[in-house]
Amino acid sequence: MQSFLKKARQSQWYGVGLLLVISVVIWAVFKIGAPATFGAPDKLLSYMQTALIYAIGGCGLYFICVMGLFDFSIGSMLIAAELSTIALIPQAGWVAVIVVPILVGVVLGLCNGIAYIKMHIPSIIVTTGLSLIYESFSVYIADVNGTRLDNAFKLFGAYPWNLIVALIAFGLCYFILNYTKIGTYTNAIGANELVAKNMGVNVDKYKAIAFTLCGTFVGIMSILYLGYGTAQTPQTGMLSQALNFQPLMGTFFGLAFKKYGHPVVSILIGEYIVAMIFAGFVALGMPTTVNNIVTGATLLAIVTLTTKRRNGAVVK
Amino acid sequence: MAKEIMLHAVGIDKQFGPTHAVDHVSLDFYKGEIHALIGENGSGKSTFTNMLTGIISIGEGTFELDGEQIAPKNQVDANHHGAAVIVQEQGTLDGLTVAENMFLGDENQFITGGIKNTGAMIKKAQELLDSYGLDYIKAVDPIDNYNFEDRKLVEIVKSTWFAPKVLVVDETTTALSQNGRAELFNVMNKVREDGRTVIFISHDMAEVLSMSDTISILRDGEYITTVSADEVDEEQLKTLMVGREMSDHYYREDYDGSLAGDVAISMKDVSVPGELEEVSLDLHKGEILGIGGLSECGMHEVGKALFGASYERTGEVELGDGTAINDINTAINHSIAYASKDRDNESLLIADTIQDNITLPSLRKMGLPLSKSKQKKFANEYAELMSVKMVNTDQFVSALSGGNKQKVVLARWVGAESEILLLDSPTRGIDIKVKADIYALMDEMRKQGKAILVISEEIMELIGMCDRILVMKDHKINGELQRSKELTEQDLIALMV
Repeated sequence: MQSFLKKARQSQWYGVGLLLVISVVIWAVFKIGAPATFGAPDKLLSYMQTALIYAIGGCGLYFICVMGLFDFSIGSMLIAAELSTIALIPQAGWVAVIVVPILVGVVLGLCNGIAYIKMHIPSIIVTTGLSLIYESFSVYIADVNGTRLDNAFKLFGAYPWNLIVALIAFGLCYFILNYTKIGTYTNAIGANELVAKNMGVNVDKYKAIAFTLCGTFVGIMSILYLGYGTAQTPQTGMLSQALNFQPLMGTFFGLAFKKYGHPVVSILIGEYIVAMIFAGFVALGMPTTVNNIVTGATLLAIVTLTTKRRNGAVVK
Repeated sequence: MAKEIMLHAVGIDKQFGPTHAVDHVSLDFYKGEIHALIGENGSGKSTFTNMLTGIISIGEGTFELDGEQIAPKNQVDANHHGAAVIVQEQGTLDGLTVAENMFLGDENQFITGGIKNTGAMIKKAQELLDSYGLDYIKAVDPIDNYNFEDRKLVEIVKSTWFAPKVLVVDETTTALSQNGRAELFNVMNKVREDGRTVIFISHDMAEVLSMSDTISILRDGEYITTVSADEVDEEQLKTLMVGREMSDHYYREDYDGSLAGDVAISMKDVSVPGELEEVSLDLHKGEILGIGGLSECGMHEVGKALFGASYERTGEVELGDGTAINDINTAINHSIAYASKDRDNESLLIADTIQDNITLPSLRKMGLPLSKSKQKKFANEYAELMSVKMVNTDQFVSALSGGNKQKVVLARWVGAESEILLLDSPTRGIDIKVKADIYALMDEMRKQGKAILVISEEIMELIGMCDRILVMKDHKINGELQRSKELTEQDLIALMV
């Protein structure tokens, strides 16, 4: 029996199964608390709609966080991508909706990567500094064509197109992690950068690639985010930082369950759990402050209780 | 038949700041031989082979491997030129599968149009593991699922499957159990039989003499001489390494055990899942107590348990006055010192200065505000007491040789005026001269009434230095032996296996 349990824990499906059980438990708890306003099938689809958006950003951030780095510019990149889309729709139409946000993400992600490598200062400082620049940049873009998306271009904010784009993004992330050198090398750099270097891994190059990929996924995320929200106002004074946290929550799950299941699946289920908790508190009529406290505490509790670490292990 | 040269090294030179690590060494290695490279810690052996295998760049000089001049940029580049290395410390990476580790940096053979054929990589890795008789290791598994020994075996496969022309085995044996060593020696013999070359670095003279055909000696970065293994004995090798006659009597010569006093620390019915089962022992003041056994017998956990660093421990650990030791802070506050077997990861701040490493546990005694000059003086005093080979105490510990790193660890605890010293593998990977220094220090501390626990896989060290030896087997104490002139290796081995 013990060896069966040990084998089960080492299985790729262990983490996924555990997360699914947690999802059901959380759904059941809120369903009992607010049976009329929480958890009906249409509501579950709505939670998934939110989860899909943030999970795409979470996938991008995963490439950075798995190396032990951080990108604090996700929110500002997202806003810049959305406002660039709105600005260029009159000239480029659907091309602006699909291609422009990805291009903006690629370019800003690459800027993050190059700046990080050339400046030799911690990623959190580089991306926070650049975030201020991207925020200001967005204010100018907003002057071009306002901050609202034309109703004719809201296609990707709802099913089935949001799901199709999300599945393409998840497939891309899965493919990169499993079937290219990038997945192996970002993991290797995170495990021991010096050994990775000795094995011929061009560490700077793969760090730059990871930042670029993060930007790319934020660009894809912005396609759904803009369609869902239909408008985006520019933010300054680091207010865009608030947008960093929801993708980051999914990334937490991806990292915490890395050993027990595929990160992409863990990120998606993790975001779904977070979306359910948010919606559950709203259904219970809780104020936002209490909502945030309980969501944060629940997130930490889930990750702590489900990722069994050896006592005394170093946790960074 | 004349021997053919496999590797021709000419004027190899490397400097790290003011340290001349390798000083214009020229040396030939022949096909079909195991060529040992020996010398004290800091003699330049690893620096020399690290240049050959791309771990560090070549300062000056040239390596000509089987007629081709090489200057590898990294380990994988060296592999492509026919040079491979198995290192002393862990060389596999967490978070990657066994297959990914085996082909890290060399995935291009599985990539078509930018797409990695993961299935083919796993299949090839598994075939290679199977061919080495390691079919219980699954290529698809995360490497984290395997223990240190199995991971080392994966490294051996990784470094040898492509039949390198030169295989460097750098102090690898100290990390392996008897079975692991046998596996490694099989691989080395096969390389020799195939007409290729092994460069073998080891501090174990008996191992060097039994495995090697030729032995070259380096001292302070300079080439000294090359001898045939048939023509020398251990004593001659030691003399060549150190540059003067080494006394054979660097172990203790007393046999009365009269210094042992009150109990300094004891453990009672201590268990740690998978490591220790109801282990009890007393360590006395003025005593050197040895713990011996096979690598996986649990003995390394004894030191951690006594230091409060065993996190799933049950049972009691207490000082002679009854103070319970349940965490590291309490242990340090009560003058307990611990030197781990895993020196780089558990004992040293590897990316920090000698000064910080020596002063760290003593800062609390220095008072506030902390004075930089006071810290420097303190670090200098104890680094000099331990004869650490260094430029100054601002030097980073990562630049020191294994022996000098261990001296820094000991300087730290001597400086902290520790009364109880728990030393796990204190002379692991250390040359005989530093060994003699450490043994002399241990004996001196014993005479001062300090209590010393030595955990060691070196049987002669236990017999030569300890007042009592507890031999462990299967996570339990299997017997106790008293210090005696008549005590032999066989007495310990009988209790170990």
